Amino acid sequence: MMGFSFLVIPLSLVLGLVLMMAPLPEWALIYRPDWVALILIYWSMAMPNRVGLWSAFITGLFVDVTQGTLLGQHSLALVIIVFINLNFHLRIRVMSLGRQALYVLVLLLINQFTVVWIEGVLEREPPVLAFFAAPFIGMALWPWIFIALRDIRRKAQLR
Amino acid sequence: MQNIFQQARGNVLPALFLIVLSVSVMVVDHRYSHLESVRAGISIVISPLRYLVSLPAQSGAWVSEWFRTHNRLVDENRELRNDERILNARLQKMEVLLAENTRLRNLLGSSRKLADDVIVSELLSVDQNPYRQLIELNKGSLDGLYDGQAVIDDYGVMGQVIHVTPNSSTVMLISDPEHAIPVQFIRSGLRTVAFGNGSTDQLEIRFLSATANIQVGDELVTSGLGGRFPPDYPVASIVEIKQDKTHGFISALARPKARLDSSREVLVIKPRVNKPAVEQ
Repeated sequence: MMGFSFLVIPLSLVLGLVLMMAPLPEWALIYRPDWVALILIYWSMAMPNRVGLWSAFITGLFVDVTQGTLLGQHSLALVIIVFINLNFHLRIRVMSLGRQALYVLVLLLINQFTVVWIEGVLEREPPVLAFFAAPFIGMALWPWIFIALRDIRRKAQLR
Repeated sequence: MQNIFQQARGNVLPALFLIVLSVSVMVVDHRYSHLESVRAGISIVISPLRYLVSLPAQSGAWVSEWFRTHNRLVDENRELRNDERILNARLQKMEVLLAENTRLRNLLGSSRKLADDVIVSELLSVDQNPYRQLIELNKGSLDGLYDGQAVIDDYGVMGQVIHVTPNSSTVMLISDPEHAIPVQFIRSGLRTVAFGNGSTDQLEIRFLSATANIQVGDELVTSGLGGRFPPDYPVASIVEIKQDKTHGFISALARPKARLDSSREVLVIKPRVNKPAVEQ
């Protein structure tokens, strides 16, 4: 039982990767929320002993390969937000879902800003304001992700 | 309160280490190619996901093929036969020209290759990153693909291979903002470089001199300079010319010939290196 329930965390991250790779029309690409970041925020908040900085780093490398970005680009962003999250998780856990969502918005904005900033350093494309719409969509999704993953975590008896 | 700060102190060093590691990985990935194997390894691990993601579109195509009516198939068959006849007729002419061309080139003593081998490959997925224009193909190093190969579809140049794994490969389209392709105007012979700008229906040609001989409708082909792309494949046609009077330059926008956003089958060119074009 224990062996199986451990798989829940990597599987949820794989699901996040699939959601980030799923084809969307070109205009909608920019509004895709960062599923992997959202799922990683949940696990590092709920189970900081299992999911920490190294998980963020390695997950980031996978995101970089699927997105065709520089290796390390998403790793950097995810390590930063997971670091922040690890230091605040005790306070955040007891907040209401609405306030949690605001906090998640801040993390997602930091995440997005890091990625866009590196694209800017590489002089790939001038960042447009629409890039910062995705974190708001992520914020709106947070309550559902939180409840879904919490139920999964309880079913799998992970603590 | 104290608990929180203690925890923070415990995390700072690993976090700093991983941040420095990410940055150095990025620098190495940007400047050198040591990390290609890491990228390839991860790519192999996630290749089932790529198939999974492309499944809905592919099964849709399969289902519509299956339910096609008999009549439509007969019609299509007839059309294809007609096309084949026409193409064969053209081909005959081509062969005569080819032979003549080869003979003339031999007379001139030049050893330019005329025909390239191709590997037919299918589109696996389109990278879902709004900054880039990358696609994944279902053939890799096991099928003989390697970095830097040119990729075309039946209308023109699409891009070049930038990463290969044993069974898949990544192609940078000519419309990627980082891509530049050496081209030549068919009409005037002018050589220049066409840059991608991130949208699939545009290439940019920058900094042409104000007296350059170009007009809307001019066709661009690969010039073969730089060695990446074999010469004389169609690339784009000019759709707009922008005069910049203050700087004395003109720039132009061109529309790629290849169907960058809709081709599903592509051809990867396998150049025949240094083979004198004699007997065909």
